[in-house]
Amino acid sequence: MEEDPNLLVGRETSDDAGVYRISEDMALVQTIDFITPIVNDPYDFGRIAAANSLSDVYAMGGRPLTAMNVVCFPVKTMDKAVLREILRGGLDAVHEAGAVLVGGHSIEDPEIKFGLSVTGLVKPDKVLANAGVKPGDAIILTKPLGAGVLATAIKAGLISQKALRRAIETMATLNRKAAEIMSAYPVNGCTDVTGFGLLGHALEMAKGSRVAITLFTENVPLLPEALDAARMGLVPEGSFSNRNFCANYIVGSERIDPVLLDILADAQTSGGLLISLPQGPAESLLADLKAQGVSDAALIGRAASAQKGLIELK
Amino acid sequence: MSEQLLDCRGQACPGPVLRAKEVIDRGNVAKLSILVDNPAAKENVGRFLSRMGYEIGFLEEGGDFKVTGTRDLSTCDCRIMEEFKKEDVENRIAVIVGTDRMGKGDDTLGQKLLKSFIGTLKEMGPELWRLVLLNGGVKLTVEGSECLAELQSLQKAGISILVCGTCLGHFGLLEKKQVGETTNMLDIVTAMQTADKVVSIM
Repeated sequence: MEEDPNLLVGRETSDDAGVYRISEDMALVQTIDFITPIVNDPYDFGRIAAANSLSDVYAMGGRPLTAMNVVCFPVKTMDKAVLREILRGGLDAVHEAGAVLVGGHSIEDPEIKFGLSVTGLVKPDKVLANAGVKPGDAIILTKPLGAGVLATAIKAGLISQKALRRAIETMATLNRKAAEIMSAYPVNGCTDVTGFGLLGHALEMAKGSRVAITLFTENVPLLPEALDAARMGLVPEGSFSNRNFCANYIVGSERIDPVLLDILADAQTSGGLLISLPQGPAESLLADLKAQGVSDAALIGRAASAQKGLIELK
Repeated sequence: MSEQLLDCRGQACPGPVLRAKEVIDRGNVAKLSILVDNPAAKENVGRFLSRMGYEIGFLEEGGDFKVTGTRDLSTCDCRIMEEFKKEDVENRIAVIVGTDRMGKGDDTLGQKLLKSFIGTLKEMGPELWRLVLLNGGVKLTVEGSECLAELQSLQKAGISILVCGTCLGHFGLLEKKQVGETTNMLDIVTAMQTADKVVSIM
């Protein structure tokens, strides 16, 4: 464990990014993330990977300032036009975030990987960690689930064009707008839904905050065809692992459709923000998000006091 | 072809589902078994097959999983006909052995007779298609069985030997089986249905 009074968020709490105070009213938010291709179009992949990396800064309550490319690419065997398209997609996302690309690093690798190292800024008293959820809070999710199963469906060629476009646009959408809107509200805790799925990330919040989070499963927004894909047997192994990993901390899973349970545990790429705040402001935040184009946002849960962190499904 | 086995061990999701889909897309698959080595693939393949209208069964074999999907054959006679066409043999005989001894009167004699019976089965020639062992019959497949060598030579000759998994489990012999493919009642019923002639030794 690092000992430094300026290290506000370190490795211990499974947070999305590290936060380091550099002055009384300013802290750096630093994060790095890179992924293997989940869609076939290189430009779309670039946008999604970059949005996924930038999201960690938003989830900490920060705003991205600078970004650097992290690239693994089979330069010797693959057309460099593919790489250019990936980088173009990434750059577009960085610009959309209002950040600047300041450099990067690439290595030869038989498998493509791309992402960003992002540095952002946050006011030390505005840092949003996982572990701030209070009993009585309402929980809002800003993007629909299902990106993991649909990525598998894309590999399998078992997805309609319409659902494919929707999944791509959802993943490529920055969490910027949602983050900016929530900054005006008394948010107690926030994270973004990524590799551990909604169940995994909600559980992290619940454990860190010592609360029980009840999820209203019928309210959880889903991408079109996600349930169909899960029913077809296109659940990625990671999502099954999430489900099994969380199983001991989940109450009521026998009451819901196992296919829906898989989607709740589905590993997301560039998922939405999971925001915890008191019930009253939560309703205004939800209305605000919807009015400003974060149209999939939904109120999906409620926190209650508990001996230890757990998730209840209703 | 109407019945297929896919070995998808070592493949991550969605690999096994895609292999199964390729086979089914080629058409007329009445029965498909897929061997996988992880629970996620087992669950996914099971879902896929049932979504495709198959009745599914699971079997665990030494850490691997065999997922078997069967389509209702009574509603697709065409497939059975097709299977017949593809086989050189006109009359396929399935022999069901549900005991470890033959006849009543003296058990020692009965065991000798059954050994002789298994040894003589090959005289049926190419018409001998499948041998199904169940109840006491599964005892023939374990080490120390007097029939083991005969069964292994039948298997080598291309005779499909199905051994009832429930029965092996009942006698605590799952780990001791030395020959044949562990199977379930669905396989046994399908064998009876697709054979031209069924000979039972009970």
